[in-house]
Amino acid sequence: MGKVMLEVNNLKTKYVTRLREDVYAVDGVSLKIEEGKSLGVAGESGCGKSTLALSLMGYYFPPLHYISGDIIVDGRNISGMKPDDVRRNILGTEIAYIPQAAMNALNPTQKIIRFIEDVIHVHDPKMSDKDIYDLAKERFSILGLPAEVLQKHAVELSGGMKQRTVIAISTILSPKVLIADEPSSALDVTSQKMVIKMMRDLMDKGYIKSMIFITHELPLLYNVTDDIMVMYAGQIVEKGSAREMVFDPLNPYTKGLMGSIIVPEEGVRENKLTAIPGTPPNLKHPPKGCRFAPRCKYATPTCSGMEIPNVELPNGREYRCLMSERKIREVYENE
Amino acid sequence: MVGELLLRPFLRFLSFVVSLREMRWNCLKGYKKYYGQKILWYLITFVIAVVLNFALPRLMPGDPVSAIAGQAASGMTDAQAIKKVYDEYVEKFGVNDPMIVQFGKWAKAAVQGDFGVSFSQYPRTVSDIIASSFGWTLALQLPAIILGWLLGNILGAVAAYMKGVFDKAILPAFLFISNVPAFGMGVILLTVFGIQLGWAPTSGAYGFDLIPNASWTFVKSVIAHYQLPFWSIVLVTIGGQAIGMRSMSIYELNADYVKYSRFLGIKDTKIVGYVFRNAMLPQITGLAMSLGTMMGGALVSEIIFSYPGLGTTMMSAIKGNDYPLLSACTLVITIMVLLANLFVEIIYGIIDPRVKAAQQD
Repeated sequence: MGKVMLEVNNLKTKYVTRLREDVYAVDGVSLKIEEGKSLGVAGESGCGKSTLALSLMGYYFPPLHYISGDIIVDGRNISGMKPDDVRRNILGTEIAYIPQAAMNALNPTQKIIRFIEDVIHVHDPKMSDKDIYDLAKERFSILGLPAEVLQKHAVELSGGMKQRTVIAISTILSPKVLIADEPSSALDVTSQKMVIKMMRDLMDKGYIKSMIFITHELPLLYNVTDDIMVMYAGQIVEKGSAREMVFDPLNPYTKGLMGSIIVPEEGVRENKLTAIPGTPPNLKHPPKGCRFAPRCKYATPTCSGMEIPNVELPNGREYRCLMSERKIREVYENE
Repeated sequence: MVGELLLRPFLRFLSFVVSLREMRWNCLKGYKKYYGQKILWYLITFVIAVVLNFALPRLMPGDPVSAIAGQAASGMTDAQAIKKVYDEYVEKFGVNDPMIVQFGKWAKAAVQGDFGVSFSQYPRTVSDIIASSFGWTLALQLPAIILGWLLGNILGAVAAYMKGVFDKAILPAFLFISNVPAFGMGVILLTVFGIQLGWAPTSGAYGFDLIPNASWTFVKSVIAHYQLPFWSIVLVTIGGQAIGMRSMSIYELNADYVKYSRFLGIKDTKIVGYVFRNAMLPQITGLAMSLGTMMGGALVSEIIFSYPGLGTTMMSAIKGNDYPLLSACTLVITIMVLLANLFVEIIYGIIDPRVKAAQQD
């Protein structure tokens, strides 16, 4: 078992709206990533994936607020630290972030290299501009980006190039945990491939020690990450290895999510394309029992009445459902 | 340690010079088309402005030559002699020629800096009058408009970033003030600070008992006389700039790059710098667009304080049907506004890389 890079225990965060209502977007999430491993987070829009990404960084600003839980990065608990300390000592070096809309993530009036200088100077004020340039140039060329990009402004780059530049900037300080929030979702297939390859290179060459990859495309995760977890309404509903999650989902929501996606993968492709009826619950007033129950075709009255326990299987797999593993397989068989 | 302290600013300066050279090179390469087009448009505007400058005052009713001739001929009884005086003046001012011929003569002379003789302050030449008033206007308006614009932008950015009293009290107060016209502000300042409190003199550019010289007394007098007209322009400028900057800053503060920079650990002071620069861009355009209006307002405030600048000169030219002087005044003001606009656009082109990118396509 490798060294644990990131451990999160029962993390809860909320949004406070302008009308002072609380929206519990991340509600008791626990996860663990070892060195050299990657974890995918999937779920439909609004399930709390992006909020989870923001919450994991331990640096909160309105409207997002921390409620409770631990975030432990390489043995150091950052959830109790002062925000300024987190920002200075953790962000960028320990945990780095790739935003969802990398298109607008770069300051339009600044050259890429000037921004890299600013990023590095936060953590190493003494490093000379020449050294920074050399470092950036080397890193860019390893990642397959031309060095000219450094002297350009964001407007002069294409969408795919911008995304890859953002990835290179985020990882320039070789962070222990990289959190990528839909880094490839806005790109065409070719650019997506380049981004995925880049993420893999980063892992292989050891520039990042672990990665959380957030996306709404479950099958994409199958090609990128070791493990996958599925989120629904602010909670993790299932966690397992990428293979198990794609080919053998246990939780009815994961199964529904797989069924509603067009995939070229063998073995999944034959599945009938089905949509999950209904909409996710309002997180201002989360339902008491299983949050998926109103949309679940296997739901019984008990599902909505009680807190659903997290079932841990011997092989490390976890899922949230009242049905036993055997019952689930039986039900799915008979369909 | 000390050596490093001294060396750092020097190195900073060196890298600044290098970046300026780099910038100039970029200008030459990427901006040729941008600036070429701009300058062409400014030339066209200039020609139209010159023609209007010449024609408009001459279309005003009234015959100034007869007024001057009348003065010169006062006491004369011989109609023949009066006629002769009148004809002499007509000849001198060339007002009997067709408009187009007058324009040709005027333009030819104007290129050589000769705007003819003033009607109302005869025999002073127009160039002489302009030369003595232009400096005062430039010294008053340029710093006042720039300071007002800067203060407005800073107030707007602070209101957006700090909120609280800046956003709820100070900014609305300046917004209220900025809706007072320049002459109204002039009158208020004049009444309150000039007359009731007696803090500053109310008219002229220096004490009327002084002759311009390099003495300390004279400089002090100039500074004292400068205050009221200067602040009347500054105060009126702040609010309008601040409100624009505030909304731009709020927009920029929520931009993705701000969030991203935060998550990379970059300090807020640095991020505020990014935001300020990006929010400034539309403000620079705004400055270019409102320069003309601002100057117009500021000219009126010169009149309130009898400041010996172009505004006051223009006023007396209008009263005296003094076409040559009026034309020259408006021409000088037009050139000032056009140059200021062109300057603003050049600056904009340099600090917004998107302009360059757009031109290279």
